[in-house]
Amino acid sequence: VNDPDPRTLVRAREGDLGAFEDLVRQFQGDVWRFAYHFTRDRALADDVTQEAFLRAFRFLRTFRGDSKFSSWLFRIARNCAMDQIRARNVYAGRVTPIAGSPVDPQARVELHAALDAVSAEHREPFLLVEVFGLSYQEAADVLGIRVGTIKSRMHRARRAMMDALALEEEAR
Amino acid sequence: MNHEQAERLLSARIDGERLSSRQAVALEHHLASCAECRAFERGAYRLREAARFEVAPAVPDLVDEVMASVREATPAGLRVVRPARLPRRRLVPRVAPIAAALLVGVLIGSLVVGGPWQRSETGSALAAAQIADGISAAAARLDAYQATFLIDESNLSPDVPERHLTMRVWFHAPERFRLDVVDHTDYPTRTTPTDLRLVVDGSRWYASGPAPCPTAECPQRESVVRNRLPFSTTTSMPTDLVLPISTLTDADRLTVLGRGTVLGRPAVEVEVPFERARPLFPFLSIAGGSIGGDWRPFFPNDRVRIWLDERNWFPLKWAVYPATGAERDAWALRFGLPDEPSLRPVFTVTALEVSTRTPAAGVFRIPASASSQDQGARNVALSDVSGDVGFEPVAPNAVGGLDRYRVVVPTDDTARSLIAYADGLAFVNLGETRTWAGTAPFGPVGLQAEEVPLAGGGVAYYEPSTDEHGRRLSIHAAGTDLYLESNLPRPALLAAAADLPVQGLPMPDAWRVHQIGGTTVERVSLETARSAVPFPVELPRTLPDGFGLASVELVDAGHGNGLTLYFRDLDADAGIGTIRLHLEPAQALPPATSAMQSAVNVGDAHGRYTPDRSEVEWIRSGVYHSLDAPGLELPELVAIAASIGSDG
Repeated sequence: VNDPDPRTLVRAREGDLGAFEDLVRQFQGDVWRFAYHFTRDRALADDVTQEAFLRAFRFLRTFRGDSKFSSWLFRIARNCAMDQIRARNVYAGRVTPIAGSPVDPQARVELHAALDAVSAEHREPFLLVEVFGLSYQEAADVLGIRVGTIKSRMHRARRAMMDALALEEEAR
Repeated sequence: MNHEQAERLLSARIDGERLSSRQAVALEHHLASCAECRAFERGAYRLREAARFEVAPAVPDLVDEVMASVREATPAGLRVVRPARLPRRRLVPRVAPIAAALLVGVLIGSLVVGGPWQRSETGSALAAAQIADGISAAAARLDAYQATFLIDESNLSPDVPERHLTMRVWFHAPERFRLDVVDHTDYPTRTTPTDLRLVVDGSRWYASGPAPCPTAECPQRESVVRNRLPFSTTTSMPTDLVLPISTLTDADRLTVLGRGTVLGRPAVEVEVPFERARPLFPFLSIAGGSIGGDWRPFFPNDRVRIWLDERNWFPLKWAVYPATGAERDAWALRFGLPDEPSLRPVFTVTALEVSTRTPAAGVFRIPASASSQDQGARNVALSDVSGDVGFEPVAPNAVGGLDRYRVVVPTDDTARSLIAYADGLAFVNLGETRTWAGTAPFGPVGLQAEEVPLAGGGVAYYEPSTDEHGRRLSIHAAGTDLYLESNLPRPALLAAAADLPVQGLPMPDAWRVHQIGGTTVERVSLETARSAVPFPVELPRTLPDGFGLASVELVDAGHGNGLTLYFRDLDADAGIGTIRLHLEPAQALPPATSAMQSAVNVGDAHGRYTPDRSEVEWIRSGVYHSLDAPGLELPELVAIAASIGSDG
C-alpha cells in the first residue's frame, strides 16, 4: 500500500476538501477490503469505510507522520470496525458469500473456515501482512503491538491455517 | 537452531522481512536437512495464493458518500452551541468519556511510541537549571516592582473574536500587592467588561470584579478579608506575574527554546504546558473563582511560551499556543472553539513597561467596604506568644535564609502559633502545637504524604504544592508537632526544615494503622509490603513527568493481604492528583458497580474502565489490579497500566 503524495496530505490537513477527496479515492479500496475482512459483511464494510474516512478527516491534523499514513488509516478503520461489530453485536467470524466472486465457492468457504480457526489476534496480523502486503513494522503500527509479536503471530497463524486447510499434507 | 525457531524465521522470510546474515546462514543450514520446513514453506505459499486470490471482492465506489458525510461534519456543521458562560473553575476540563473512548484508538498509537509525557529534546538541562536557580535567587532579593502589560485574547466567543485588555501590577515586599485589569473591548451586545482589582496589604485583602452569572451582564462583586493569615493561599498574592517562582523553579519541567530580544532587553524563551503555567494567569479566577469576569478556555496541554528578561528573570511576554492532538480537537469542539492553528498564539500578555521603583504607599490602600470576612490571624509580638498559647514556640531568627516577619496567633485550629518568614517574594510559614491529638500528621498534610529524610537524621512528611497550598512539610517531634508551608523549591524547603532545632520522628502507630470497617490499613515501607504479600510487586515504568512513589499501604480485609501504592507529583500538583494502584490476589474482576463501565485492553489482559472513577481494573497472573487517578484520561491510564509487569 503506497503512501499519498505529501503535498496532497498537507493540503488535506489544512482542510482542503478536494485534496481529501483524492485521499478517499486512493485509499477507499484498501480501507473497504480491510473493513470487509474484519466484518465479513458488505453493508458493514461500507459503513466502516465511511466512518473511518470521517474520523480520519476530523483527526487528520493529529497525524504526525510517525507511522505511514496507510497504517494510521488502517488503525482508524480497525477501530471503526470494532465499534461497528460491538454496536451491532455481529459475530466477526460469520461467513457471507460474496456475490459475483470468481472463486470456487467451496475453496472460499474453506479459507474462511481456516481464518475462523485462528484467533482474532492471529487473524489480524495475517490479513494485514498476507492480504494487504504490509511490512511487519507497518502491521505493528496498525495493531499497536511490537514487531516481534507480529513475527511470532504470523508464524502461528500460518501453522494453524495450514493445519486447518491440510495444505501441508498436500504439499508433501 | 531448533525447528520451531527455523520455522519462525522462514515465516518472516516469506513475508520479505530482512534476516541478519547469521540468521540467514543458520536457516539455510537447517532447511537443507529439514523436510518439514520445506513443506511448511510450500504450504505457506499455497496459503498466500488462496488468501490473495480469494480476498479480492468487488470494491464499491464510496467517494460520494464519504465526501457528503465529511462536508456535513466540517467544523461549521459540527460547531456546538457555546454555553452563555464558561465554567470558570474548570481550567483543566476533562474530555467527555465517550469522546475519550472514541479517541483511544487514535491516541494509543502515540502512547505506544513513547507516552504522552515524552520530554522535549530541545533546550539544555544546564540552561533550564540556571533559569530555575536564577528565579529562586532573584525572588529572595526583590524588594519592589511595578509593570504594565497588554493582554490580547482570541476566540472568547464567535461574537467576540478578539479582546484587548491592560493589566497593571505593583509589588512591595513582603506582602503588599496590587493587580488591576481594565477591559478595552467593544462588545457587540451589552456586556459587563472584565475589569478586575486585587489589593493585598499584609493582613488585609481586597478583590473586585464581575461575579460569574448566566448572562452577559453580571453584577460587580467585592470580597474583603481582615486578619488575613500570612501568605494565605486562599487569599493569595499572584506574585508569579512578578517572578514566575512557582511556575518555573522546577528545572526538570521547563524547556528552553532559545534567546532573543524583547522590549529591547536580552531575553530567554522557555515553554511549559498551560496546566503548569496557571500562576501566570491569576486574573482568570480570583477569590476561588467567585470573581474573574469572562475568559476563553484553555486546554491543560496548551503550550505557554514565556520570554524572561535574562538579567533579572522578569517575565516580559507570555503567550498560549494551542496543543495539537485528537484530545485537544475534541475538547475544542465541546467549547465551540473554531479551528486554532498550533503556530498562532490565542492569548498573549506583553509587558509595556517594567521597573523596580517602589510603588507609592497609596497604591495599596484598600477601598472602604461595608462587610469583611475575618480570617482570625491576630498579629502579636513574639514575646507575647508564650503568654497566649502556653509554650515557647520554635522560632529561630531566620528559616531557610528568610527573616522572621510576622507572628500571629490564629483563632481557628490550624495551629496554636504561626510565624511567617519572608524575603522578597519567598516565604515560609511555620506553625506549631504542643497538644496534637489527631491521627494524621499536623497541618495541611495527609496520611499518604511522602516520607522524606532530613539532613541531620530526622524525617518529615511532604506534600507538593496545589492550588490551595504551597509545598508543605509536617514534622512530628518529641513533645511538639510543626508544619512548614512555603513557595521555596522542594530542596530549599527540606534544607530549611533540617535546620530547625527539632528531630523529626517517624509516624506513630496510631497514625500508621487505621481500621476502616472490617479492613485494616497499615502504612508501611515498600520493602515491608513486598515481603507481606504473596505476589511480586512491580511498579509502573510509565508515569507522568515528575511523579514518584509517595507511600504504600498494606490492606487486610480478612482474606489475605492486598497493597495500595500512591504515586504523586513530588514537586507541584498540576491537577492530576494522586495516582493510586491497588493490588490483591484474585482470579476474576469483582462484579460491575457502574453502568458506565466499558471493556478495555491492558496489554494482553482484558480489563474494565470506569470513567466516573477514572479507574482501570484488570487481572494479571492471579493479581487484581485497580489503577485510578482523578486527573487522567483513559489513554494515559492504559499507558501506565500497561507498563506494570509487562516485559517492555
